[in-house]
Amino acid sequence: MYFFLQITLSGIATGAIYGLIAVGYSLTFMTTKVLNFALGMWVMLGGMLTYSLHVEYGLNPLFVLPIVTLVLFALGVVAERFSVFPFLRAGSDVWVMSTLAVGFLMIDLAEIIWGRNPTPVPPFIGKDAIYIGQVSILPQQLLIILVACVMFLALDVFYRRTLLGKAFRAVAHSGDVSGLMGINTRRIQALSYAMASALAGIAGFLVVPLTLAEPQMGTVLGLKAFAIAIIAGLAAPRGILICGLMYGAFEALVSGYLYTGIRDILGFSLMILALFLKPEGVFGRRQEERV
Amino acid sequence: MAEGGGEVNTFNSTEVNMSDKTFVSQIAAAAAAVIFAAMGSAQAQEPIKIGFAGALSGPASFVGIEIKRGSEIAIDEINAKGGIKGRKLVLVARDDEHNPVKTVAQYRELVEREKVVGIVGATNSASMLAVAPIVNDTLKVPVICPATDATEITENDAKKNGRDNYLFRVGMYGTGQANFMVDTMTKKFGHKKIGLLTWTGGWGVTGRGELQRRLKENGLSPVTDETFDNNDTDMTPQVIKLQNAGAQSILNYALVRENTFVVKTKEKLKDGTPYVSAWGIAGPAFWKAAGDAAEGVLTSTTVTIDGPQSPERMAFINEYQRRYNEGMSAAVFAVGAYDAIYLFKTSMERNGLEPKQIRDGLEKIPEFNGLVKHFKRPVFTRDRHNAVTEEDMIMTRWTNGKLLEVKFDSKGPYVEIDAKTKKYIDKATMKLL
Repeated sequence: MYFFLQITLSGIATGAIYGLIAVGYSLTFMTTKVLNFALGMWVMLGGMLTYSLHVEYGLNPLFVLPIVTLVLFALGVVAERFSVFPFLRAGSDVWVMSTLAVGFLMIDLAEIIWGRNPTPVPPFIGKDAIYIGQVSILPQQLLIILVACVMFLALDVFYRRTLLGKAFRAVAHSGDVSGLMGINTRRIQALSYAMASALAGIAGFLVVPLTLAEPQMGTVLGLKAFAIAIIAGLAAPRGILICGLMYGAFEALVSGYLYTGIRDILGFSLMILALFLKPEGVFGRRQEERV
Repeated sequence: MAEGGGEVNTFNSTEVNMSDKTFVSQIAAAAAAVIFAAMGSAQAQEPIKIGFAGALSGPASFVGIEIKRGSEIAIDEINAKGGIKGRKLVLVARDDEHNPVKTVAQYRELVEREKVVGIVGATNSASMLAVAPIVNDTLKVPVICPATDATEITENDAKKNGRDNYLFRVGMYGTGQANFMVDTMTKKFGHKKIGLLTWTGGWGVTGRGELQRRLKENGLSPVTDETFDNNDTDMTPQVIKLQNAGAQSILNYALVRENTFVVKTKEKLKDGTPYVSAWGIAGPAFWKAAGDAAEGVLTSTTVTIDGPQSPERMAFINEYQRRYNEGMSAAVFAVGAYDAIYLFKTSMERNGLEPKQIRDGLEKIPEFNGLVKHFKRPVFTRDRHNAVTEEDMIMTRWTNGKLLEVKFDSKGPYVEIDAKTKKYIDKATMKLL
């Protein structure tokens, strides 16, 4: 029993990281059908900034968090303006490549600025594992699970209760009609991209004490998160969290009871299967196409 | 300087009416004459070129930079003492970006255009495996590898067919390292229940196979055989499975990043199973990343620059620090490259300066006092192109930020904290007694 509980809990902690990143894909997809394919690199940028501010300049994490969020938000605005909007306006799909290009640019710049050696970032709240009975979890992992849950609740409130959130959903439903109704569609597009970037930054901030700061830290995380966003459904933010936690647990259980080597084979096969059976995602609702 | 000044004055006094401009051009002409004369003599004494192609940029660049620096220190020392047969040595380095396709092209360029007479390896095994047949069949220039541990680099077709083998190695080689790791744990530490934990990436896969083979040769099989991905940040399932299988020690093939996650997970789970890694973590980067969680971890290697050192090693360590203003990030490669250059030198002085003569000479060096170690036997023979054999490898223990060699006496394994303090190691837990 200990074995099952311990690996499941560790897996859920990893899954919370995936969920936190995955929701970024949904933010932009819902408003513009655009995906920032380099979201993992934005996570890395958040992590590396956290490293610099927290480790190199000794800033308290409570101050680091708003700085990272704001910087990533601002960079998101800029990146959207130059790497997404021009193609969106022209009705082209080239943003697929340009978002990735921005990501690779960030990796190269990070390698120049921070070097390539993995560097540790001390956990924000205590180093010693917390024990629940025999089962142990790191405080930082617990923090990530908590923040992920809070973040998803907040997003839920945002989408359902606030005017801006409703505007997001309106644009998601139909950009043209929303425009006619007086919603500044263009601003919503830019805002959703910047919010996704800021969220990725927050994810990077939270994750970096667990992953070590290095320019490649976000690449695979971003890919796994993408798989989760697809399985859950890009238009189902709540489902993404649940799916993230489950995927994390699934990975750990495969490693624990089967074999690590086949873990990603099973994981990505699951994604393809999900796409095949339910293209709108396990938690997604089919969009009625009216002609 | 004083004499030169005098001459200038003579110029001025005899040709008073010279304008400043002609005076300057006179000086320039004189200087040019001196430079041309110097170049003339340099041409008569063309330098001997040694090549290197490896990663000098990208994630593996630390390996390439160490090889380049180690080579440069050796070359400058040799040149300061008059070079080889009156000729200077130079290093021609190329950045292959860790890409075997580029390594092949650059090896050709180094040999055919730059006319290098020897090469100090590359930074990845794939590159060396790609160039090995080309080196033996067409380039025919001796290569000494300080890094790249794939067994087949030296145990290649040329060797199997009894032709001249141009590939030599002063670093680790795969088969030998796995044998050394398994034998040390089973014979010297008396562990019979060995668990494996290896990386699913290229190096981990070969390592896993080698460890399995050696365990089998010793009549054992791993109590459990775990793997991990290079993006795993939490190794909980693997570590618990190793615990449950009752492993007395865990053998591992991986690099700094993955090993950091392993030891941090072990710390979280309060797992004290002795952990033994191949030489991927034999550098300060591991302690920097893992911190205290690395205490007690063992790693096999060829060289450590921590703990008491020979005077020759100390001189090299200090020279490195002085020149580059930092410590070595991976001493094995710098030290190996330094020895590779001196092996080339020894062979050239004994046997001649043609690539074929250098190759033949390398097989006939009867004794060699290198930095890796003092080889009191032929460094290489026709059948053995690995300088470092299983008997020469060392087991080291991460001890308070230092990588200390594990030595054995009648009372058991111990490390020397400094020249005076000797601490014995508990065979079951790897803790200091």
